[in-house]
Amino acid sequence: MERKYTILAILLIVLALGLVILPRTNEQKETNPKVLLSAIAEKSRYLTVDQVTHRIIENDPTLLLIDLRTADQYKTFALPGSLNITTDSLLSQANLELFSQPGKDKVLYANADLTSEKAWLLCTRFSLNRIYIMKGGMNEWYNTIVKEKSVTGTPSSADLDLLSFRKAARQFFIGSGETVNASVNPTINEKIQVIRKEPKAASGGGC
Amino acid sequence: MKKIKFDGSFYLNPYLGGVILGTVLLLSFYISGRGLGASGAVKSTVAATVNIIAPEHVAKSAYLSQFAGGDHQPMNNWLIFEVLGVLAGAFLSGIIFNRLKLKVEHSPKITSRRRLIFALLGGLIFGFGSQLARGCTSGAALSGMAVLSFGGYITMIAIFGTAFVAAWIFRKNWI
Amino acid sequence: MIGSIISSGIISPAWDNLFAVILGIGFGFALESSGFSSSRKIIGTFFGYDFVVVKVFFTAAIFASIGLLYFSYLGLVDFSTLYIQPTFLASAIVGGIIMGVGFAMGGFCPGTSLCAAAVGRIDGLVFFGGMFIGVFMFSEAFPLFENMFYSGSQGAKMISTVLGISPEMFTFLLVLAAVGMFMGASWLEKKVKKVNY
Repeated sequence: MERKYTILAILLIVLALGLVILPRTNEQKETNPKVLLSAIAEKSRYLTVDQVTHRIIENDPTLLLIDLRTADQYKTFALPGSLNITTDSLLSQANLELFSQPGKDKVLYANADLTSEKAWLLCTRFSLNRIYIMKGGMNEWYNTIVKEKSVTGTPSSADLDLLSFRKAARQFFIGSGETVNASVNPTINEKIQVIRKEPKAASGGGC
Repeated sequence: MKKIKFDGSFYLNPYLGGVILGTVLLLSFYISGRGLGASGAVKSTVAATVNIIAPEHVAKSAYLSQFAGGDHQPMNNWLIFEVLGVLAGAFLSGIIFNRLKLKVEHSPKITSRRRLIFALLGGLIFGFGSQLARGCTSGAALSGMAVLSFGGYITMIAIFGTAFVAAWIFRKNWI
Repeated sequence: MIGSIISSGIISPAWDNLFAVILGIGFGFALESSGFSSSRKIIGTFFGYDFVVVKVFFTAAIFASIGLLYFSYLGLVDFSTLYIQPTFLASAIVGGIIMGVGFAMGGFCPGTSLCAAAVGRIDGLVFFGGMFIGVFMFSEAFPLFENMFYSGSQGAKMISTVLGISPEMFTFLLVLAAVGMFMGASWLEKKVKKVNY
């Protein structure tokens, strides 16, 4: 065989060998820090308790509530339709798939904001989208919906609407009694079907 | 570059040709996310033509209805455009290397009529097979191999393996 | 630049068809200049006097595979966005066999017949025309083949997964095999009786 072909063949083999030898880099796609920063500054990642409550009552199918508190706290009381995912199991494969679910808004809440912020940051770093935080968490929800939070000063008509909405919501969750009954059982057994996205190519193909 | 002159024609060194083809293939995946192909264009054209002539037939046909009729646009297809490019590119090469010639290429041992009959039959059979295998040597085999597709390799092995045997059977036509 | 350029939206999809033409031109040029417009040259692989098909085909496939894997390693391409030919076992094998017969009879495949037609070879044109009839016949006979057509679906499986090795290792082994084939082909070409075409 001619010399130049030998050289070319060796070159090719070395090239292919390079593929095998090169170290495997970490395959996780992480969001660009700049993108992350602008996502943090986005105000729209927060949902108010009123917005969330509205969607719960309406039975909005695009709503997916994630309760980040411990299992005991979840059992005591949680928002209806929410799933309990503690922060330590947040990054498990199954939960990550849950978060990648298309067509659903994932709303995180904990007792206050600190835990939900951390979880939100983690999810966003993994390039997951449609993740929101219910501002104020469970505490805010309790203070707003369950206990009557009076509006300071003279209430405007929008405020009045809000107050009557909250009153209705209170009745929805707790019943017409005045006593705060913590026995609103969340539907814990709602198993969400993870629609595994088929590895379908973004482009068409076929001959 | 090794020159192979037979009918006075200059052919590129096959390895160089392979590298050029490989580059085109690579770019095809990089730009459009898919490999090259050819039989798909035939399929689209057939579907579109039948749709124009007899749309009800397309609607009834379990196969064609996947590609034509309704709001399918079979002719607005990546492959159709690619095939146009292939014709242009081959023509260009023919001009550059002085290979433009209207003729039927056949072994001196057979007539050109026999060659054309076999070409027609060969094309017919090939067209049939390409639909079944969802691709041809360019689309399924070549592009499939580039992305290490199992189906692509299987089709490639099936085509070349069978062709070895079949060529021997039909050897009178060739040597 | 993750993913193919079109699907990641760097260039709008409206340009896709334009690129198709450009890529097609490259495709046609590479094929024709390597001699694929001549059916007797193509069929030479099966009789041992001209292995241009093996050389071009495998060089191209290897080059593209290595290129894609390097691109993927460098983060230029997301392999999952590429179209991988799905595996339908039965129809792939039977279709391949049928195509092999057609190949040996006609001496062309669709791409090369186009090249041949473009430079004036009537047999190439006739082959391509025959394909239309064949495709139509398939669509008519589809109900007979429907079961086979959809059977054995394994999705977009990669051959390296089937063999249980990494794609890179498979490509490396393929390169070794191909170099061996090229050496064998060159040796055989010298031994076989010369054919003038």
